[in-house]
Amino acid sequence: MTQRTEALAGTITPAMAQVAQKEGVPPDVVRQGVAEGTIVIPCNNRRNSSVFTGIGTGLRTKVSASVGLYGDGAAIGVEVQKIRTAIAAGADSIMDLSVSGDIDSMRGQTLAAATTPVGTLPLYQAIAEAAVRRGSPVNMTVDDLFEVIERQAADGVDFLALHSGTTMDIVQRAKNEGRIDPLVSYGGSHLIGWMIHNQKENPLYEQYDRLLEIARKYDVTISLADGMRPGCVADSLDGAQVHELVILGELVRRAREAGVQIMVKGPGHVPLNHIEATVTLQKSLCKGAPYFVFGPVVTDIAAGYDHISGAIGGAIAAWAGAELICYVTAAEHLGIPDVAQVHEGVIAARIGAHAADLAKGLKGAREWDLQLSRARKNLDWKTQLALAIDPGRATELRKQRSEESSSACAMCGKYCAMKVVSQYLGASGRSC
Amino acid sequence: MTQVLAARAGRITPEMEMVAKRENIDVEVIQAGLAAGTIVIPRNIRRKEFNYCGIGQGLRIKVNTLIGTSSDRDDMEMEARKLAIAEEMGADAVMDLSTGGDIDAMRRQTLSRANVAVGSVPIYQCGIEAIEKRGSIVAMTEDDIFEAIEKHAAEGVDFMAIHCALNFDVIKRLKNTGRVTDVVSRGGAFLTGWMLHNNKENPLYEEFDRLLEILKRYDVTLSLGDAIRPGSTADSMDGAQIQGMIIGGELVARAREAGVQIMVEGPGHVPMHHVKATMLLQKRLCNGAPYFVLGTLATDVAPGYDHITSAIGAAIGGTAGADFICNVTPAEHLGLPTEQDIKDGIIAARIAAHAADLAKGNKQAMAMDLRMARARVALDLDRQISLSIDPKLAKTSSGNGEAGHCCAVCGPQCAAQVAARFFGIA
Repeated sequence: MTQRTEALAGTITPAMAQVAQKEGVPPDVVRQGVAEGTIVIPCNNRRNSSVFTGIGTGLRTKVSASVGLYGDGAAIGVEVQKIRTAIAAGADSIMDLSVSGDIDSMRGQTLAAATTPVGTLPLYQAIAEAAVRRGSPVNMTVDDLFEVIERQAADGVDFLALHSGTTMDIVQRAKNEGRIDPLVSYGGSHLIGWMIHNQKENPLYEQYDRLLEIARKYDVTISLADGMRPGCVADSLDGAQVHELVILGELVRRAREAGVQIMVKGPGHVPLNHIEATVTLQKSLCKGAPYFVFGPVVTDIAAGYDHISGAIGGAIAAWAGAELICYVTAAEHLGIPDVAQVHEGVIAARIGAHAADLAKGLKGAREWDLQLSRARKNLDWKTQLALAIDPGRATELRKQRSEESSSACAMCGKYCAMKVVSQYLGASGRSC
Repeated sequence: MTQVLAARAGRITPEMEMVAKRENIDVEVIQAGLAAGTIVIPRNIRRKEFNYCGIGQGLRIKVNTLIGTSSDRDDMEMEARKLAIAEEMGADAVMDLSTGGDIDAMRRQTLSRANVAVGSVPIYQCGIEAIEKRGSIVAMTEDDIFEAIEKHAAEGVDFMAIHCALNFDVIKRLKNTGRVTDVVSRGGAFLTGWMLHNNKENPLYEEFDRLLEILKRYDVTLSLGDAIRPGSTADSMDGAQIQGMIIGGELVARAREAGVQIMVEGPGHVPMHHVKATMLLQKRLCNGAPYFVLGTLATDVAPGYDHITSAIGAAIGGTAGADFICNVTPAEHLGLPTEQDIKDGIIAARIAAHAADLAKGNKQAMAMDLRMARARVALDLDRQISLSIDPKLAKTSSGNGEAGHCCAVCGPQCAAQVAARFFGIA
């Protein structure tokens, strides 16, 4: 049984009950969402999770952080530290995107350290192993690939990112239409190389049923990855991207029929004026499946500040209906994020997610703003800092930026607007 | 003669020419915008020549930053360094909001060193001098206020935030609405306190013509201060704010009639679903006057990261019609910004402004992104760095990532390399 088949049978599982309780919605709303496929609860039946997270319509917007071994300088210990940092900063899920080193051990450590759902991208490991065992990723066999997928599922990974929609047709379309950046996704690029070298259709598409069987066996949630996500704003919503989304919509339907939980991954680089349309298109083509978006970043030129560019795009995407935001760190386009950048990336994504929840009128979002603003009005610093999205950072900054202050807040010094007006409007003129 | 009167008389000024050149559009478009009041070019006739910027419809969105001394930190050298950082980071204008130490000397320093438009808020100085000379802000006289404005104008300040659109009607709405954070504008708070204590109408509203005369003489652009901007998302678009906007619209019409350049200041804390409506209302009520927004901040809960909450709001606001973005720094709500905070604030605002320009189809903005995309595909790291919004930072932080279409994993027969050859980009 998967969460989905249980939901279809009318059963409210402990996972659904916990999600409902955390979200403040009736359990049957969650069950119905899982049954309709508009909500997923990634929880591999081998993992024995006690903490469940719902992703989808009507729920709080979630944030995912990616870590993993990349290159010679990578160390498992550092990546585990990043996982702990991301979760402490409020990440709702962790993806281990290791592409090199001891990928099996890293995954084991991730599953042990993360108190959240864990996702992976098995193609990375299959590529790495083919490079070692067969001399090149292009020599990877289809069985190699499925063996890795099953291995990761059996280890307890809650959701697997799989590029099943990147078909030969789409690759050809990208070439024909002169896509500026056809190789954005690391997995997608290697998969396309494999397809071209071997002149074979994408096995994740052709043998999709085989994939569904594995997913159903472990109740792994499929996260359909997009090989054609736009890597620059000029490529957004081009034929290749939209064609792939059409295919992904078909694959969503097949997964649902097979009782498998599924969500869809998306952009990328998306100009502001394309974001709402992108989400609407995904929702329509994929029949309300949860949308897991990377960023999106809203310009190509913000290298070094892509967490900000991503917060802008993430806020608008989530407002338009995306339910899971993959963070973008300040290291994006430049290198691998360090621990501080992981922390900052999670907070930036959470700001975007919360701004969206506020705009959507999600229960609780408005109250959070209201409580903090009341504390601000009352010059109640203790409450203000405790309610901040990153209390540690807010406390530290306040200390640093107001330390030489004669009054307690250096921002306005003696001329605090709140105090001046409070005297005349009959509110308490409490000093900070 | 002010820029707007020159434009109406059919004249093309050097200021219009420079703006047209920087925007890469016909100077007649600038002239027509000035004449119609949808574009302003802040430039006091007493000020030296500098890099003029046009603000308004059809132009790239501009970014303003704030510097200035305060009662808690009075370090003119530090403010000079902030000014230099602001210009290096691409701020289009700087406001000197000094409230501490020798305010006059600070302003003169800013005016002489800045190569961009300079703005000020004369009521700050006026209020603080009233405290020093008369014991309280409420003891400030009408003449004190107008004298401070004239002094700033005569020294060459290009644009001034002046809270004219605040009167007893607005305060009545404020009381009736029951706001969470009442008045968060410091100038607005000074005036509200003054009005309530003295039981007198706001002189900047009541004697608006007297103000216009001063501004016209020096061609100071009036930036209508938003005394009643929402300080929390819960207060957004309430009766008081909208009342202020309606009055602002009336004042815009009067300023235009008098041949004074005018733009309107706006919020503040605005939930995302209010941003577009806020912009639309302002544009409608103020008849297309340029909109100068502080943020807007998309949520109240992120002190320490308000450059990010503001970037979200500004990007949406810019797409919906905001023309001029005042940056918000990470120190907002917590204390006084450092030089690093100013830098972070400007970059975040510029990202938002640029994202909005892109969304609106601005050709210069689109060309910038395309050049970067091509540099990435060509794996041209040097070009990528030089095209970044902050090349220095990009240079110091790049290095530990991928260097080609393939990486250390695959070895010689890299699958991504195969794909790159297929697409002709290897």
